[in-house]
Amino acid sequence: MTELLWAVAVAPFKDMAGSPAFFVEVVLGGIFTGLMYSLVALGFVLIFKASGVFNFAQGVMVLFAALTLVGLMERGAPVVLALVLTTAVMVVLAFAIERIVLRPLVNQEHIILFMATIGLNFFLEGFGEMAWGANVKKLDIGIPDRSFIVSGVQINELELTAALTSAVLVVILAVFFHRTRIGRALRAVADDHEAALSVGISLTTIWVVVWSVAGLVAIVAGIMWGAKSGVQFSLSLIALKALPVLILGGFTSVPGAIVGGLIIGVGEKLGEVYWGPLVGGAIENWFAYVVALAFLLVRPQGLFGEKIIERV
Amino acid sequence: MSEAPPPAPLLQVDGVSVRFGALVALSQVSLEIARGEILAIIGPNGAGKTTLLNVVSGFYHPYEGRIVFEGEDRTRLRPYEVAALGVARTFQNVALFKGMSVLDNIMTGRLLKMRGSFLLEALYWGPARRQELEHRAFVERVIDFLEIQAIRKTAAGRLPYGLQKRVELARALAAEPKLLLLDEPMAGMNVEEKEDMSRFVLDVNSEFGTTIALIEHDMGVVMDISDRVVVLDYGRKIADGPPEQVRKDAAVVDAYLGVSHD
Repeated sequence: MTELLWAVAVAPFKDMAGSPAFFVEVVLGGIFTGLMYSLVALGFVLIFKASGVFNFAQGVMVLFAALTLVGLMERGAPVVLALVLTTAVMVVLAFAIERIVLRPLVNQEHIILFMATIGLNFFLEGFGEMAWGANVKKLDIGIPDRSFIVSGVQINELELTAALTSAVLVVILAVFFHRTRIGRALRAVADDHEAALSVGISLTTIWVVVWSVAGLVAIVAGIMWGAKSGVQFSLSLIALKALPVLILGGFTSVPGAIVGGLIIGVGEKLGEVYWGPLVGGAIENWFAYVVALAFLLVRPQGLFGEKIIERV
Repeated sequence: MSEAPPPAPLLQVDGVSVRFGALVALSQVSLEIARGEILAIIGPNGAGKTTLLNVVSGFYHPYEGRIVFEGEDRTRLRPYEVAALGVARTFQNVALFKGMSVLDNIMTGRLLKMRGSFLLEALYWGPARRQELEHRAFVERVIDFLEIQAIRKTAAGRLPYGLQKRVELARALAAEPKLLLLDEPMAGMNVEEKEDMSRFVLDVNSEFGTTIALIEHDMGVVMDISDRVVVLDYGRKIADGPPEQVRKDAAVVDAYLGVSHD
Protein backbone atom coordinates (compact mmCIF):
# COMPACT_ATOMS: atom_id res chain seq x y z
CA MET A 1 0.00 0.00 0.00
CA THR A 2 2.70 2.46 0.97
CA GLU A 3 4.60 1.46 -2.16
CA LEU A 4 1.63 2.38 -4.32
CA LEU A 5 1.16 5.69 -2.55
CA TRP A 6 4.84 6.38 -2.97
CA ALA A 7 4.66 5.55 -6.68
CA VAL A 8 1.64 7.80 -7.26
CA ALA A 9 2.22 10.74 -4.96
CA VAL A 10 5.95 11.02 -4.41
CA ALA A 11 8.05 9.29 -7.04
CA PRO A 12 6.78 11.31 -10.06
CA PHE A 13 7.58 14.59 -8.34
CA LYS A 14 10.98 13.28 -7.37
CA ASP A 15 11.57 12.48 -11.03
CA MET A 16 10.50 15.99 -12.04
CA ALA A 17 12.84 17.60 -9.54
CA GLY A 18 15.62 15.19 -10.45
CA SER A 19 15.80 16.32 -14.06
CA PRO A 20 14.38 19.84 -14.40
CA ALA A 21 15.46 20.30 -18.00
CA PHE A 22 13.54 17.23 -19.07
CA PHE A 23 10.56 18.40 -17.04
CA VAL A 24 10.60 21.76 -18.84
CA GLU A 25 10.78 19.97 -22.18
CA VAL A 26 7.74 17.87 -21.30
CA VAL A 27 5.86 21.01 -20.26
CA LEU A 28 6.82 22.80 -23.48
CA GLY A 29 5.64 19.84 -25.51
CA GLY A 30 2.39 19.99 -23.57
CA ILE A 31 2.03 23.71 -24.23
CA PHE A 32 2.45 23.13 -27.96
CA THR A 33 -0.19 20.41 -28.02
CA GLY A 34 -2.37 22.47 -25.73
CA LEU A 35 -2.24 25.47 -28.05
CA MET A 36 -3.55 23.34 -30.88
CA TYR A 37 -6.44 22.28 -28.67
CA SER A 38 -6.95 25.91 -27.71
CA LEU A 39 -7.16 27.00 -31.33
CA VAL A 40 -9.77 24.38 -32.16
CA ALA A 41 -11.68 25.17 -28.96
CA LEU A 42 -11.51 28.87 -29.85
CA GLY A 43 -13.28 28.16 -33.13
CA PHE A 44 -15.98 26.32 -31.18
CA VAL A 45 -16.41 29.12 -28.67
CA LEU A 46 -16.70 31.86 -31.30
CA ILE A 47 -19.46 30.09 -33.16
CA PHE A 48 -21.22 28.94 -30.01
CA LYS A 49 -21.26 32.44 -28.53
CA ALA A 50 -22.52 34.18 -31.62
CA SER A 51 -25.09 31.70 -32.85
CA GLY A 52 -25.64 29.13 -30.11
CA VAL A 53 -24.57 26.45 -32.57
CA PHE A 54 -22.31 23.73 -31.29
CA ASN A 55 -20.20 23.25 -34.39
CA PHE A 56 -19.28 19.59 -34.56
CA ALA A 57 -17.46 20.26 -37.84
CA GLN A 58 -14.79 22.51 -36.34
CA GLY A 59 -12.21 19.71 -36.38
CA VAL A 60 -12.93 18.89 -40.00
CA MET A 61 -12.63 22.57 -40.83
CA VAL A 62 -9.06 22.35 -39.52
CA LEU A 63 -8.45 19.36 -41.74
CA PHE A 64 -10.16 20.95 -44.71
CA ALA A 65 -8.11 24.14 -44.38
CA ALA A 66 -4.87 22.17 -44.18
CA LEU A 67 -5.86 19.95 -47.11
CA THR A 68 -6.72 22.95 -49.25
CA LEU A 69 -3.44 24.64 -48.42
CA VAL A 70 -1.37 21.53 -49.19
CA GLY A 71 -3.40 20.79 -52.29
CA LEU A 72 -2.79 24.26 -53.66
CA MET A 73 0.90 24.09 -52.87
CA GLU A 74 1.18 20.70 -54.56
CA ARG A 75 -0.26 22.29 -57.65
CA GLY A 76 2.57 24.78 -57.66
CA ALA A 77 1.15 27.76 -55.80
CA PRO A 78 3.74 29.62 -53.71
CA VAL A 79 3.12 29.65 -49.94
CA VAL A 80 1.75 33.18 -49.76
CA LEU A 81 -0.63 32.72 -52.66
CA ALA A 82 -1.78 29.39 -51.30
CA LEU A 83 -2.47 31.02 -47.92
CA VAL A 84 -4.49 33.82 -49.51
CA LEU A 85 -6.48 31.35 -51.59
CA THR A 86 -7.11 29.10 -48.60
CA THR A 87 -8.35 32.09 -46.63
CA ALA A 88 -10.67 32.93 -49.51
CA VAL A 89 -11.94 29.35 -49.58
CA MET A 90 -12.70 29.44 -45.86
CA VAL A 91 -14.59 32.74 -46.21
CA VAL A 92 -16.60 31.36 -49.13
CA LEU A 93 -17.30 28.30 -47.01
CA ALA A 94 -18.59 30.58 -44.22
CA PHE A 95 -20.96 32.31 -46.65
CA ALA A 96 -22.15 28.98 -48.00
CA ILE A 97 -22.74 27.52 -44.53
CA GLU A 98 -24.73 30.57 -43.47
CA ARG A 99 -26.82 30.52 -46.64
CA ILE A 100 -27.37 26.78 -47.08
CA VAL A 101 -27.25 25.38 -43.55
CA LEU A 102 -27.95 28.05 -40.94
CA ARG A 103 -30.47 30.36 -42.57
CA PRO A 104 -33.07 27.70 -43.38
CA LEU A 105 -32.75 26.36 -39.83
CA VAL A 106 -33.07 29.67 -38.02
CA ASN A 107 -35.03 29.40 -34.74
CA GLN A 108 -34.85 25.62 -34.76
CA GLU A 109 -33.90 23.68 -31.66
CA HIS A 110 -30.20 23.62 -30.84
CA ILE A 111 -30.10 19.88 -31.36
CA ILE A 112 -31.28 20.33 -34.96
CA LEU A 113 -28.48 22.78 -35.69
CA PHE A 114 -26.05 20.45 -33.97
CA MET A 115 -27.20 17.61 -36.23
CA ALA A 116 -26.74 19.88 -39.22
CA THR A 117 -23.12 20.46 -38.26
CA ILE A 118 -22.62 16.69 -38.00
CA GLY A 119 -23.83 16.54 -41.58
CA LEU A 120 -21.47 19.35 -42.45
CA ASN A 121 -18.70 17.37 -40.81
CA PHE A 122 -19.24 14.39 -43.12
CA PHE A 123 -19.72 16.56 -46.15
CA LEU A 124 -16.47 18.46 -45.62
CA GLU A 125 -14.58 15.26 -44.95
CA GLY A 126 -15.86 13.65 -48.13
CA PHE A 127 -15.50 16.80 -50.18
CA GLY A 128 -11.95 17.37 -48.96
CA GLU A 129 -11.02 13.83 -49.86
CA MET A 130 -12.64 14.10 -53.26
CA ALA A 131 -10.97 17.40 -54.08
CA TRP A 132 -7.52 16.80 -52.68
CA GLY A 133 -7.09 13.03 -52.31
CA ALA A 134 -6.91 10.86 -49.22
CA ASN A 135 -3.23 10.14 -48.74
CA VAL A 136 -1.12 11.65 -45.98
CA LYS A 137 0.51 14.82 -47.19
CA LYS A 138 3.53 16.64 -45.99
CA LEU A 139 3.00 20.30 -45.30
CA ASP A 140 6.14 22.37 -45.60
CA ILE A 141 5.69 26.08 -45.15
CA GLY A 142 9.37 26.77 -44.75
CA ILE A 143 9.69 26.57 -40.97
CA PRO A 144 12.34 23.96 -40.20
CA ASP A 145 11.44 21.16 -37.81
CA ARG A 146 14.72 21.32 -35.89
CA SER A 147 15.71 22.16 -32.37
CA PHE A 148 18.12 24.35 -30.52
CA ILE A 149 19.20 24.17 -26.92
CA VAL A 150 18.76 26.91 -24.33
CA SER A 151 20.43 26.18 -20.98
CA GLY A 152 20.00 22.46 -21.34
CA VAL A 153 16.41 22.60 -22.61
CA GLN A 154 15.73 21.44 -26.11
CA ILE A 155 13.39 23.79 -27.97
CA ASN A 156 11.81 22.93 -31.28
CA GLU A 157 11.74 25.80 -33.76
CA LEU A 158 8.51 24.72 -35.35
CA GLU A 159 6.77 24.43 -32.01
CA LEU A 160 8.10 27.79 -30.93
CA THR A 161 6.83 29.41 -34.12
CA ALA A 162 3.47 27.75 -33.65
CA ALA A 163 3.21 28.97 -30.09
CA LEU A 164 4.10 32.52 -31.03
CA THR A 165 1.73 32.53 -34.00
CA SER A 166 -1.11 31.31 -31.81
CA ALA A 167 -0.36 33.97 -29.23
CA VAL A 168 -0.36 36.69 -31.91
CA LEU A 169 -3.62 35.35 -33.32
CA VAL A 170 -5.26 35.44 -29.92
CA VAL A 171 -4.13 39.03 -29.35
CA ILE A 172 -5.44 40.07 -32.77
CA LEU A 173 -8.79 38.43 -32.05
CA ALA A 174 -9.01 40.12 -28.65
CA VAL A 175 -8.36 43.54 -30.20
CA PHE A 176 -10.84 42.82 -32.96
CA PHE A 177 -13.56 41.92 -30.47
CA HIS A 178 -13.04 44.81 -28.13
CA ARG A 179 -12.12 47.67 -30.40
CA THR A 180 -13.97 47.37 -33.65
CA ARG A 181 -17.55 48.06 -34.56
CA ILE A 182 -18.03 44.51 -35.80
CA GLY A 183 -16.48 43.16 -32.63
CA ARG A 184 -18.93 45.15 -30.54
CA ALA A 185 -21.80 43.95 -32.71
CA LEU A 186 -20.55 40.42 -32.27
CA ARG A 187 -20.50 40.64 -28.51
CA ALA A 188 -23.99 42.10 -28.68
CA VAL A 189 -25.27 39.18 -30.77
CA ALA A 190 -23.62 36.72 -28.41
CA ASP A 191 -25.52 38.33 -25.56
CA ASP A 192 -29.05 38.82 -26.91
CA HIS A 193 -30.32 38.22 -30.45
CA GLU A 194 -33.51 40.26 -30.16
CA ALA A 195 -31.79 43.29 -28.72
CA ALA A 196 -29.06 43.04 -31.35
CA LEU A 197 -31.64 43.12 -34.12
CA SER A 198 -33.33 46.13 -32.60
CA VAL A 199 -30.15 48.21 -32.67
CA GLY A 200 -29.69 47.42 -36.33
CA ILE A 201 -27.30 44.46 -36.33
CA SER A 202 -27.82 41.97 -39.11
CA LEU A 203 -27.54 38.48 -37.66
CA THR A 204 -26.65 36.92 -40.98
CA THR A 205 -23.67 39.25 -41.42
CA ILE A 206 -22.44 38.42 -37.96
CA TRP A 207 -22.80 34.70 -38.60
CA VAL A 208 -20.74 34.95 -41.75
CA VAL A 209 -18.11 36.90 -39.82
CA VAL A 210 -17.84 34.36 -36.99
CA TRP A 211 -17.74 31.38 -39.31
CA SER A 212 -15.05 33.14 -41.34
CA VAL A 213 -13.03 33.87 -38.21
CA ALA A 214 -13.50 30.25 -37.11
CA GLY A 215 -12.25 29.28 -40.57
CA LEU A 216 -9.15 31.46 -40.17
CA VAL A 217 -8.44 29.96 -36.76
CA ALA A 218 -8.84 26.54 -38.40
CA ILE A 219 -6.23 27.47 -41.02
CA VAL A 220 -3.70 28.41 -38.37
CA ALA A 221 -4.38 25.23 -36.39
CA GLY A 222 -4.26 23.16 -39.58
CA ILE A 223 -0.91 24.59 -40.64
CA MET A 224 0.71 24.10 -37.26
CA TRP A 225 -0.58 20.60 -36.70
CA GLY A 226 -0.07 19.61 -40.32
CA ALA A 227 3.53 20.83 -40.38
CA LYS A 228 4.23 18.77 -37.27
CA SER A 229 2.59 15.49 -38.11
CA GLY A 230 1.48 15.65 -41.73
CA VAL A 231 -1.92 16.45 -43.14
CA GLN A 232 -4.10 13.40 -42.71
CA PHE A 233 -7.64 12.56 -41.80
CA SER A 234 -6.82 11.90 -38.17
CA LEU A 235 -6.33 15.67 -37.94
CA SER A 236 -10.06 16.05 -37.57
CA LEU A 237 -9.88 13.96 -34.40
CA ILE A 238 -8.22 16.76 -32.46
CA ALA A 239 -11.69 18.25 -32.44
CA LEU A 240 -12.63 15.52 -29.99
CA LYS A 241 -9.86 16.74 -27.71
CA ALA A 242 -11.38 20.19 -27.88
CA LEU A 243 -14.45 18.89 -26.06
CA PRO A 244 -12.75 18.36 -22.70
CA VAL A 245 -11.04 21.70 -23.23
CA LEU A 246 -14.43 23.35 -23.61
CA ILE A 247 -15.81 21.62 -20.54
CA LEU A 248 -12.78 22.79 -18.59
CA GLY A 249 -12.73 26.34 -19.89
CA GLY A 250 -16.42 26.97 -20.38
CA PHE A 251 -18.29 26.99 -23.68
CA THR A 252 -18.67 30.74 -23.85
CA SER A 253 -15.28 31.99 -22.78
CA VAL A 254 -12.42 32.88 -25.12
CA PRO A 255 -9.82 33.01 -22.33
CA GLY A 256 -11.34 29.76 -21.06
CA ALA A 257 -10.64 28.03 -24.37
CA ILE A 258 -7.01 29.12 -24.24
CA VAL A 259 -6.33 28.32 -20.59
CA GLY A 260 -8.33 25.08 -20.85
CA GLY A 261 -6.31 23.98 -23.88
CA LEU A 262 -3.04 24.63 -22.08
CA ILE A 263 -4.15 22.78 -18.94
CA ILE A 264 -5.27 19.76 -20.93
CA GLY A 265 -2.17 19.80 -23.15
CA VAL A 266 0.32 20.11 -20.32
CA GLY A 267 -1.69 17.84 -18.03
CA GLU A 268 -1.86 14.96 -20.46
CA LYS A 269 1.84 15.18 -21.31
CA LEU A 270 2.86 15.23 -17.65
CA GLY A 271 0.44 12.41 -16.91
CA GLU A 272 1.78 10.33 -19.76
CA VAL A 273 5.44 10.79 -18.86
CA TYR A 274 5.36 10.64 -15.08
CA TRP A 275 2.27 8.62 -14.19
CA GLY A 276 1.74 6.67 -17.40
CA PRO A 277 4.30 3.92 -16.66
CA LEU A 278 2.32 2.95 -13.55
CA VAL A 279 -0.55 1.68 -15.67
CA GLY A 280 1.47 0.66 -18.68
CA GLY A 281 1.37 3.98 -20.54
CA ALA A 282 -0.98 5.47 -23.15
CA ILE A 283 -2.96 7.51 -20.66
CA GLU A 284 -2.50 10.57 -22.89
CA ASN A 285 -5.50 9.54 -24.92
CA TRP A 286 -8.02 9.42 -22.13
CA PHE A 287 -6.52 11.70 -19.49
CA ALA A 288 -8.31 14.77 -20.86
CA TYR A 289 -11.70 13.12 -20.66
CA VAL A 290 -11.18 12.09 -17.06
CA VAL A 291 -10.28 15.67 -16.17
CA ALA A 292 -13.39 16.85 -18.00
CA LEU A 293 -15.53 14.34 -16.14
CA ALA A 294 -14.15 15.47 -12.80
CA PHE A 295 -14.88 19.05 -13.78
CA LEU A 296 -18.45 18.27 -14.75
CA LEU A 297 -19.02 16.96 -11.25
CA VAL A 298 -17.51 19.94 -9.48
CA ARG A 299 -17.89 22.93 -11.75
CA PRO A 300 -20.15 22.20 -14.72
CA GLN A 301 -19.92 25.73 -16.12
CA GLY A 302 -16.15 25.39 -16.51
CA LEU A 303 -13.44 27.68 -15.22
CA PHE A 304 -14.64 30.81 -16.99
CA GLY A 305 -18.10 29.90 -18.18
CA GLU A 306 -21.25 31.67 -17.14
CA LYS A 307 -23.06 30.01 -14.32
CA ILE A 308 -26.47 29.08 -15.52
CA ILE A 309 -29.13 29.52 -12.91
CA GLU A 310 -32.57 28.82 -14.20
CA ARG A 311 -35.72 29.68 -12.41
CA VAL A 312 -38.08 26.76 -12.30
CA MET B 1 -50.68 69.03 -25.74
CA SER B 2 -49.55 69.19 -29.35
CA GLU B 3 -51.24 70.88 -32.26
CA ALA B 4 -53.08 69.20 -35.11
CA PRO B 5 -50.88 66.60 -36.83
CA PRO B 6 -49.08 67.77 -39.97
CA PRO B 7 -50.42 66.46 -43.28
CA ALA B 8 -47.87 63.68 -43.95
CA PRO B 9 -47.78 61.11 -41.16
CA LEU B 10 -44.47 59.62 -40.12
CA LEU B 11 -45.85 56.12 -40.17
CA GLN B 12 -48.92 54.57 -41.74
CA VAL B 13 -50.15 51.12 -40.88
CA ASP B 14 -52.54 50.22 -43.63
CA GLY B 15 -54.97 47.29 -43.26
CA VAL B 16 -52.40 45.07 -41.59
CA SER B 17 -53.27 41.51 -40.60
CA VAL B 18 -51.00 39.03 -38.85
CA ARG B 19 -51.74 35.37 -38.34
CA PHE B 20 -49.92 32.69 -36.41
CA GLY B 21 -51.35 29.52 -37.87
CA ALA B 22 -55.05 29.68 -37.18
CA LEU B 23 -54.73 32.47 -34.64
CA VAL B 24 -55.43 35.92 -36.00
CA ALA B 25 -53.28 38.28 -33.94
CA LEU B 26 -54.08 41.41 -35.92
CA SER B 27 -56.95 41.89 -38.27
CA GLN B 28 -57.10 44.75 -40.77
CA VAL B 29 -55.56 47.27 -38.43
CA SER B 30 -54.99 50.74 -39.84
CA LEU B 31 -53.52 53.67 -38.00
CA GLU B 32 -51.25 56.62 -38.49
CA ILE B 33 -48.58 58.12 -36.34
CA ALA B 34 -48.06 61.83 -36.88
CA ARG B 35 -44.65 63.44 -36.57
CA GLY B 36 -43.91 64.60 -33.07
CA GLU B 37 -46.82 63.02 -31.28
CA ILE B 38 -46.99 60.58 -28.40
CA LEU B 39 -49.33 57.77 -29.30
CA ALA B 40 -50.45 55.27 -26.69
CA ILE B 41 -51.59 51.82 -27.75
CA ILE B 42 -53.81 50.17 -25.16
CA GLY B 43 -56.00 47.12 -24.93
CA PRO B 44 -56.59 44.02 -22.84
CA ASN B 45 -54.02 41.22 -22.70
CA GLY B 46 -53.73 39.37 -25.99
CA ALA B 47 -55.24 42.25 -27.95
CA GLY B 48 -52.29 42.35 -30.36
CA LYS B 49 -50.45 45.40 -29.06
CA THR B 50 -47.00 43.83 -29.01
CA THR B 51 -47.69 42.13 -32.33
CA LEU B 52 -48.41 45.54 -33.80
CA LEU B 53 -45.12 46.86 -32.47
CA ASN B 54 -43.32 43.82 -33.83
CA VAL B 55 -44.81 44.39 -37.27
CA VAL B 56 -43.79 48.04 -37.27
CA SER B 57 -40.23 47.18 -36.22
CA GLY B 58 -39.89 44.38 -38.78
CA PHE B 59 -39.78 41.43 -36.37
CA TYR B 60 -42.99 40.08 -37.93
CA HIS B 61 -44.26 40.55 -41.43
CA PRO B 62 -47.99 40.97 -42.06
CA TYR B 63 -49.71 38.59 -44.44
CA GLU B 64 -51.77 41.44 -45.76
CA GLY B 65 -51.59 45.20 -45.55
CA ARG B 66 -48.77 47.69 -45.79
CA ILE B 67 -46.44 49.62 -43.53
CA VAL B 68 -45.41 53.01 -44.89
CA PHE B 69 -42.66 54.96 -43.18
CA GLU B 70 -41.92 58.51 -44.35
CA GLY B 71 -43.90 57.86 -47.52
CA GLU B 72 -41.98 54.69 -48.44
CA ASP B 73 -43.41 51.20 -48.37
CA ARG B 74 -41.33 49.08 -46.04
CA THR B 75 -43.65 46.19 -45.23
CA ARG B 76 -41.05 43.50 -45.91
CA LEU B 77 -37.99 44.98 -44.26
CA ARG B 78 -36.02 43.05 -41.67
CA PRO B 79 -35.52 44.39 -38.14
CA TYR B 80 -31.99 45.69 -38.74
CA GLU B 81 -33.13 47.47 -41.89
CA VAL B 82 -35.99 49.08 -40.03
CA ALA B 83 -33.53 50.19 -37.37
CA ALA B 84 -31.40 51.76 -40.09
CA LEU B 85 -34.41 53.82 -41.21
CA GLY B 86 -34.58 55.40 -37.77
CA VAL B 87 -36.97 53.24 -35.76
CA ALA B 88 -35.75 52.25 -32.30
CA ARG B 89 -37.59 50.14 -29.79
CA THR B 90 -37.60 48.64 -26.33
CA PHE B 91 -39.00 45.28 -25.33
CA GLN B 92 -41.66 44.17 -22.89
CA ASN B 93 -39.26 41.80 -21.11
CA VAL B 94 -36.18 44.04 -21.36
CA ALA B 95 -33.69 42.87 -23.98
CA LEU B 96 -30.35 44.20 -22.80
CA PHE B 97 -26.87 42.86 -23.37
CA LYS B 98 -26.65 41.60 -19.81
CA GLY B 99 -22.97 40.82 -19.77
CA MET B 100 -21.94 44.23 -21.11
CA SER B 101 -21.63 47.44 -19.11
CA VAL B 102 -24.37 50.03 -19.26
CA LEU B 103 -22.08 52.27 -21.28
CA ASP B 104 -21.33 49.51 -23.81
CA ASN B 105 -25.02 48.72 -24.04
CA ILE B 106 -25.84 52.28 -24.92
CA MET B 107 -22.90 52.46 -27.31
CA THR B 108 -24.44 49.62 -29.33
CA GLY B 109 -27.24 52.06 -30.07
CA ARG B 110 -24.67 54.07 -32.06
CA LEU B 111 -23.49 51.10 -34.16
CA LEU B 112 -25.51 52.17 -37.17
CA LYS B 113 -23.99 55.63 -37.09
CA MET B 114 -20.42 54.37 -37.13
CA ARG B 115 -18.45 54.23 -40.31
CA GLY B 116 -14.93 53.66 -41.33
CA SER B 117 -12.09 51.27 -41.56
CA PHE B 118 -11.85 48.30 -39.37
CA LEU B 119 -8.07 48.43 -39.33
CA LEU B 120 -8.06 51.99 -38.04
CA GLU B 121 -10.62 50.98 -35.44
CA ALA B 122 -8.45 48.11 -34.32
CA LEU B 123 -5.50 50.46 -33.99
CA TYR B 124 -7.76 53.07 -32.38
CA TRP B 125 -6.09 55.70 -34.47
CA GLY B 126 -6.96 58.78 -36.53
CA PRO B 127 -10.54 59.14 -37.73
CA ALA B 128 -11.59 55.98 -35.93
CA ARG B 129 -10.53 57.45 -32.60
CA ARG B 130 -12.23 60.75 -33.32
CA GLN B 131 -15.39 58.92 -34.31
CA GLU B 132 -15.38 56.81 -31.16
CA LEU B 133 -14.99 59.94 -29.05
CA GLU B 134 -17.83 61.73 -30.83
CA HIS B 135 -20.19 58.84 -30.31
CA ARG B 136 -19.04 58.53 -26.75
CA ALA B 137 -19.86 62.21 -26.20
CA PHE B 138 -23.38 61.71 -27.52
CA VAL B 139 -23.87 58.66 -25.33
CA GLU B 140 -22.76 60.66 -22.30
CA ARG B 141 -25.44 63.20 -23.13
CA VAL B 142 -28.06 60.47 -23.17
CA ILE B 143 -26.70 59.13 -19.88
CA ASP B 144 -26.97 62.57 -18.29
CA PHE B 145 -30.41 63.06 -19.73
CA LEU B 146 -31.72 59.83 -18.21
CA GLU B 147 -29.82 60.37 -14.99
CA ILE B 148 -27.92 57.08 -15.00
CA GLN B 149 -24.40 58.48 -14.56
CA ALA B 150 -23.79 56.44 -11.43
CA ILE B 151 -24.32 53.05 -13.07
CA ARG B 152 -22.54 53.54 -16.37
CA LYS B 153 -19.84 50.95 -15.62
CA THR B 154 -22.16 48.38 -14.06
CA ALA B 155 -23.01 45.22 -15.99
CA ALA B 156 -26.56 45.67 -17.24
CA GLY B 157 -27.68 42.26 -15.95
CA ARG B 158 -26.94 43.24 -12.35
CA LEU B 159 -29.24 46.26 -12.30
CA PRO B 160 -32.68 46.29 -10.74
CA TYR B 161 -35.53 45.96 -13.20
CA GLY B 162 -36.57 49.61 -13.22
CA LEU B 163 -33.06 50.74 -14.10
CA GLN B 164 -32.74 48.09 -16.79
CA LYS B 165 -35.80 49.58 -18.44
CA ARG B 166 -34.17 52.98 -18.29
CA VAL B 167 -30.93 51.66 -19.83
CA GLU B 168 -32.94 50.08 -22.60
CA LEU B 169 -34.55 53.44 -23.27
CA ALA B 170 -31.10 55.03 -23.28
CA ARG B 171 -29.86 52.55 -25.87
CA ALA B 172 -32.86 53.29 -28.08
CA LEU B 173 -32.29 57.05 -27.69
CA ALA B 174 -28.61 56.71 -28.56
CA ALA B 175 -29.69 55.76 -32.07
CA GLU B 176 -31.37 59.21 -32.42
CA PRO B 177 -34.53 57.58 -33.75
CA LYS B 178 -37.25 59.32 -35.68
CA LEU B 179 -39.76 56.90 -34.24
CA LEU B 180 -39.40 55.38 -30.80
CA LEU B 181 -41.46 52.31 -29.93
CA LEU B 182 -41.80 51.50 -26.25
CA ASP B 183 -43.34 48.20 -25.21
CA GLU B 184 -44.70 48.68 -21.69
CA PRO B 185 -41.94 51.00 -20.51
CA MET B 186 -43.46 51.21 -17.04
CA ALA B 187 -44.46 47.61 -16.43
CA GLY B 188 -43.44 46.33 -13.03
CA MET B 189 -42.38 49.74 -11.77
CA ASN B 190 -43.39 51.43 -8.56
CA VAL B 191 -45.18 54.78 -8.54
CA GLU B 192 -42.02 56.81 -8.23
CA GLU B 193 -40.27 54.96 -11.07
CA LYS B 194 -43.36 55.38 -13.22
CA GLU B 195 -43.34 59.12 -12.60
CA ASP B 196 -39.67 59.29 -13.59
CA MET B 197 -40.28 57.28 -16.73
CA SER B 198 -43.30 59.40 -17.70
CA ARG B 199 -41.19 62.51 -17.31
CA PHE B 200 -38.44 61.01 -19.49
CA VAL B 201 -40.92 60.09 -22.21
CA LEU B 202 -42.33 63.61 -22.23
CA ASP B 203 -38.84 65.16 -22.19
CA VAL B 204 -37.62 62.97 -25.05
CA ASN B 205 -40.63 64.07 -27.04
CA SER B 206 -40.24 67.76 -26.34
CA GLU B 207 -36.43 68.07 -26.34
CA PHE B 208 -35.49 65.76 -29.20
CA GLY B 209 -38.81 66.04 -31.04
CA THR B 210 -38.94 62.24 -31.19
CA THR B 211 -42.20 60.65 -32.24
CA ILE B 212 -43.19 58.02 -29.70
CA ALA B 213 -45.58 55.10 -29.79
CA LEU B 214 -45.94 53.26 -26.52
CA ILE B 215 -47.89 50.35 -25.12
CA GLU B 216 -49.04 50.90 -21.58
CA HIS B 217 -51.47 49.36 -19.14
CA ASP B 218 -51.53 52.07 -16.52
CA MET B 219 -54.48 54.24 -17.57
CA GLY B 220 -53.38 57.12 -15.38
CA VAL B 221 -50.07 57.28 -17.21
CA VAL B 222 -51.71 56.92 -20.61
CA MET B 223 -54.14 59.76 -19.96
CA ASP B 224 -51.35 61.97 -18.64
CA ILE B 225 -48.73 61.68 -21.32
CA SER B 226 -50.30 60.71 -24.61
CA ASP B 227 -51.60 63.00 -27.35
CA ARG B 228 -53.66 60.24 -28.85
CA VAL B 229 -54.79 56.76 -27.88
CA VAL B 230 -55.43 53.72 -30.06
CA VAL B 231 -57.34 50.84 -28.53
CA LEU B 232 -56.97 47.26 -29.73
CA ASP B 233 -59.19 44.35 -28.77
CA TYR B 234 -58.95 40.83 -30.19
CA GLY B 235 -56.63 42.07 -32.92
CA ARG B 236 -58.96 44.82 -34.09
CA LYS B 237 -58.77 48.54 -33.63
CA ILE B 238 -61.85 49.60 -31.69
CA ALA B 239 -61.04 53.24 -30.93
CA ASP B 240 -58.64 55.97 -31.96
CA GLY B 241 -58.65 59.51 -30.64
CA PRO B 242 -57.63 61.93 -27.90
CA PRO B 243 -57.45 60.39 -24.40
CA GLU B 244 -60.58 62.10 -23.01
CA GLN B 245 -62.65 60.88 -25.92
CA VAL B 246 -61.36 57.32 -25.83
CA ARG B 247 -61.98 57.08 -22.11
CA LYS B 248 -65.70 57.63 -22.64
CA ASP B 249 -65.97 55.36 -25.67
CA ALA B 250 -68.52 52.60 -25.09
CA ALA B 251 -66.60 49.94 -27.03
CA VAL B 252 -63.48 50.63 -24.96
CA VAL B 253 -65.37 50.38 -21.71
CA ASP B 254 -66.80 47.06 -22.91
CA ALA B 255 -63.42 45.70 -23.87
CA TYR B 256 -62.01 46.49 -20.45
CA LEU B 257 -64.96 45.66 -18.26
CA GLY B 258 -66.63 43.01 -20.35
CA VAL B 259 -70.07 44.68 -20.09
CA SER B 260 -72.50 43.79 -22.81
CA HIS B 261 -74.82 46.34 -24.37
CA ASP B 262 -77.87 44.64 -25.70
